[in-house]
Amino acid sequence: MTSGEVSEQSERLLKQLSESGQRLIGYFYPHIPLELLMAHDFMPVLVWADSTVSGAYEGSLQTFACSFARNIFSQRVRDQLSVLSGFIFPGNTCDSLQNVGDIWRVRFPNDIFFRLTYPAGGAGRAAVKFLAEELRILSKGIELKLGTGFSREELRRSADFVGRFRWAVQFIYAARLINPDVVSYSELAKAVRGFLSVPSLDSLATAEALLSKVQKDMDAQGHTDSVEKLSASLLERKIETPITPEETDSPRIVVLGGMVEPTDIAQLMESTPGGSDSAIVFDMLSFGFKTVFTDPLSLDGDPFEEMARATLKAHLEPTQEGLQKRLDFLKGMLSNLSIDGVIVCEQSFCDPDQFEAPSLENSVTDSGIPALRLPMDPEMSDKSRLSLRVQSFLETLASG
Amino acid sequence: MSDEKPYRRLETQALLQQIAFRHGLEAMNASEEGNLAWVTSGFPVEIPFAMNVFPTYPEQAGAIIGAQKIGPEVCGYAEDMGYTQELCSYAMVSIGSTDRPDDVPMGSLPTPQALLACNNICGTVLKWYDGISQMTGAPVYLLDTPPLEGDQTPHHREYVRSGVERLVEFLSTTFQTSLEEERFREVSELSSKAIHLWTSALKECQKSPSPLNCADRFLTMAPVVSSRGTEHCVEFYEALLEEVQDRAKQGIGAVREEKVRLLWDNIPPWFALRFFNKLAAKGVVFPADTYTHAWSGAVEGTDTRSILDAIVDIYSNVYLNKGLDAKVDKMCQLIKDFDLDAFVMFSVRSCKRYSLGQYVSKEIVTERTGIPGVVIEGDMVDSRLFNEAQIETRIEALLEMVT
Amino acid sequence: MKDEDKLGVGLDIGSTTAKGVLIDSTGRVIASHLQMTGASAPRSVESILSALKETSDLDLFDIPTISTGYGRNIVEIATDTVTEITCHAVGISRLNPEIRFIVDVGGQDSKVMRLGSNGRPADFELNDKCSAGTGRFLEVMARVLEVSIEELGPLALESQAPCTISSTCTVFAESEVVGRIGAGETPTDIAAGVHLAMASKIGSLARRVGIKEPICITGGVAKNPAFRHYLSKELGGELWVPENPQLTGALGAAYLALERH
Repeated sequence: MTSGEVSEQSERLLKQLSESGQRLIGYFYPHIPLELLMAHDFMPVLVWADSTVSGAYEGSLQTFACSFARNIFSQRVRDQLSVLSGFIFPGNTCDSLQNVGDIWRVRFPNDIFFRLTYPAGGAGRAAVKFLAEELRILSKGIELKLGTGFSREELRRSADFVGRFRWAVQFIYAARLINPDVVSYSELAKAVRGFLSVPSLDSLATAEALLSKVQKDMDAQGHTDSVEKLSASLLERKIETPITPEETDSPRIVVLGGMVEPTDIAQLMESTPGGSDSAIVFDMLSFGFKTVFTDPLSLDGDPFEEMARATLKAHLEPTQEGLQKRLDFLKGMLSNLSIDGVIVCEQSFCDPDQFEAPSLENSVTDSGIPALRLPMDPEMSDKSRLSLRVQSFLETLASG
Repeated sequence: MSDEKPYRRLETQALLQQIAFRHGLEAMNASEEGNLAWVTSGFPVEIPFAMNVFPTYPEQAGAIIGAQKIGPEVCGYAEDMGYTQELCSYAMVSIGSTDRPDDVPMGSLPTPQALLACNNICGTVLKWYDGISQMTGAPVYLLDTPPLEGDQTPHHREYVRSGVERLVEFLSTTFQTSLEEERFREVSELSSKAIHLWTSALKECQKSPSPLNCADRFLTMAPVVSSRGTEHCVEFYEALLEEVQDRAKQGIGAVREEKVRLLWDNIPPWFALRFFNKLAAKGVVFPADTYTHAWSGAVEGTDTRSILDAIVDIYSNVYLNKGLDAKVDKMCQLIKDFDLDAFVMFSVRSCKRYSLGQYVSKEIVTERTGIPGVVIEGDMVDSRLFNEAQIETRIEALLEMVT
Repeated sequence: MKDEDKLGVGLDIGSTTAKGVLIDSTGRVIASHLQMTGASAPRSVESILSALKETSDLDLFDIPTISTGYGRNIVEIATDTVTEITCHAVGISRLNPEIRFIVDVGGQDSKVMRLGSNGRPADFELNDKCSAGTGRFLEVMARVLEVSIEELGPLALESQAPCTISSTCTVFAESEVVGRIGAGETPTDIAAGVHLAMASKIGSLARRVGIKEPICITGGVAKNPAFRHYLSKELGGELWVPENPQLTGALGAAYLALERH
């Protein structure tokens, strides 16, 4: 299934849900407490880039706006997002999304618009406090503009629901590092995408079905303990002990990047001669590892503070934390997870990605591991060159 | 007439070179003594100045590299390192000139001991300084001032306040120094004095003919950006204001025959300042721009506490840290106060924070003020992205609309 | 078939030209053919194969064939596809094992690669989407200067003072060149400036990968003497040019076909 088909499927699903009375709220930046939105009786819907949308941004945005922002703006111009009752834009994550949010409000004055501003640079306790207050304001805004209050009962339920999903995919992520053949990267990416697009019982069931298959296999291979340990250390962002992965035919590749579409990357790898389903053993992408490995929501303290704490503890985007912390984690991965090659994705005109790419690449090659830079946009408009890059990289890995 | 040019040169400009020279020497000294910090243009420099940490500005160095017309080459050095041409050209030439200082005659900065970034001008600064940190080993301190939605809220103020306090701690431990109230008060007084003088000079341009043109302001803004908080900065603006007031009193314009008054939006193309002089020949003057008006908040207080509060307020509320509405309001205000006929928006490919939204604000500004505007595309440093013929056609068409 | 009778075919279907090479088990080239790719890549494959057949007078049925280039995936008879990155490296290494760096500039794309001691690519880089730094850029500029693409290089070499073409975007550079003509600059100096701009673009790609001598240049643009001159200056080293710089990708593919089957 191509990402275009996947998005068509979830679009259909969203339409059905909306017709049956389910209220949907859209968001763009993946580091958002889903539990908060669910506690207001909304289904949080991650708005993906649509690879098939044709540009409709030109009247409002210059071409040097980030290609992801251009894409979502075009979707709105083409009226593709009408099932959503409101939109949550991130603030202080990058200049493109910051300004596109402003432009959106002018161009679509009737949209219900919220801005959740994130702290940048990793200011610790003060950052948690700031984000907690932002979440509280968002919560009040939802109540005021969309009419449903915050329910603690719903929060509890959704904390459990979201927690179950995350736990399942965390286990699968860790299991694939030990044996990437246990399930393909594209299946995992699809399960994650399915849930983030439509976090319904069905999506959870799909992820959990995948989990039980993986659990069974890991159990049979005697890996359960090491998978659980690895999953826990990924959640803590501390990879300090080497793992012993199962032997496979394909090289072990990690994909780094920001708000690029994991299923697109999976498909690119699968469609490339010499590339296989299991070649990608891990990703560090926004719509993958970075959001999936978020702490479970604790219900002990002030809910907004707890949500802020969990959100800021995850592996964030470049603006939200300093580079060194990110490089340290990467080094831990490279030295302990038997990695053969690294692909660094760069979204076209994405400042945070493009600024970080050279540092990531250097860090990888300094560890003696080959790296490939993959400049791309959500439309994969340069597909033949992308697959040329990937195929050449695989050939380089095979001969080296 | 002794001067045949269509524009008049400021006498105060001669002083500028002295200031720039002095600033360069001081920065070099500071670097050798181990107390040089690179800062972003919206950083509260009153704090490092008061703590005897000398600040210098990569953005200004970028402008100098741009003005020497070596932007493409120096950007190229960063491209060689794997940075894409799509990134901010200030950052690119900063990274490029740090990598190959010997290939950059003017505009490569002495080695920093700390990198102080404030994201009130854009989100790019953190990543840029992170890159420089990798190259120089100097630690980065980010003063986070999240973009404002309307008025500053109490939790925003509290957050920025805690950031300012941590900045003082950071400087204290990094440079073994402390913030003394008396010195702090002195610096902030000098800073606000310079700012008042500067804004008074800007205000004189409301008169017709305007005593200053765009390029005059872009050049004479340098000290208020780099040296506010020092005595010589105040002295420079006293001299500038005197000259400007003098011109205004005598009805002497920056442009010999002022016919059309335009607003300039965004950073200028540093490699093509002659562009403004070419327009001057047609009687076009730019009495106001959004760029040089950004340095207008005076830090005033009576003790450390109140000065820090003022810093939190002023530096959170800078022009680029506010939304589109605030930018539109500012432009409309300038158009009204300075009695302008049309506006030119320079869409700077490097600066997303400044430029994205111009298509929309152009429509709103015209709707509100009734005057026409034009968007031209290019870059402030990287001349590879500046198509002069295309730009001239657009401006000419705009002029035909108002004359 | 005996081992010494083994043959290999390499097909390099590029965006502008399509190339084919037939070799025997010793690596000797029995036949080669080059033509425009044209609108239909499959048709050009057919005509290359029949040309190889005609020259060699051999029945090419069931011979190991490797395809490369942008059209590599449309070649139905190919036993395997390998990218032109690897193929150029293999081809060049056989011709000159010393080479450690290859610059390949074709009609619509350009690549640089650094070779390891095994003669295989250790790192590589490609141009981005835009056509700056490719043969296409030179074609557009030749048209603006009203000379043929073959005349452009020799014209540039006559220049004593190349002018600066700062835009690397083809569209922008085109209007810049028009502006230069208007300003009265000579076609010689403009042509030199165009080559200089192109060499600097390729130089930037090369430095990202890390230049290592000896350097080799391949692709259609390798035949342009002015480009070689300015690129050699830009990279700070002599350039080695193979006899048929456009065929090395196909040649590498043919070697790989032999090696693998």
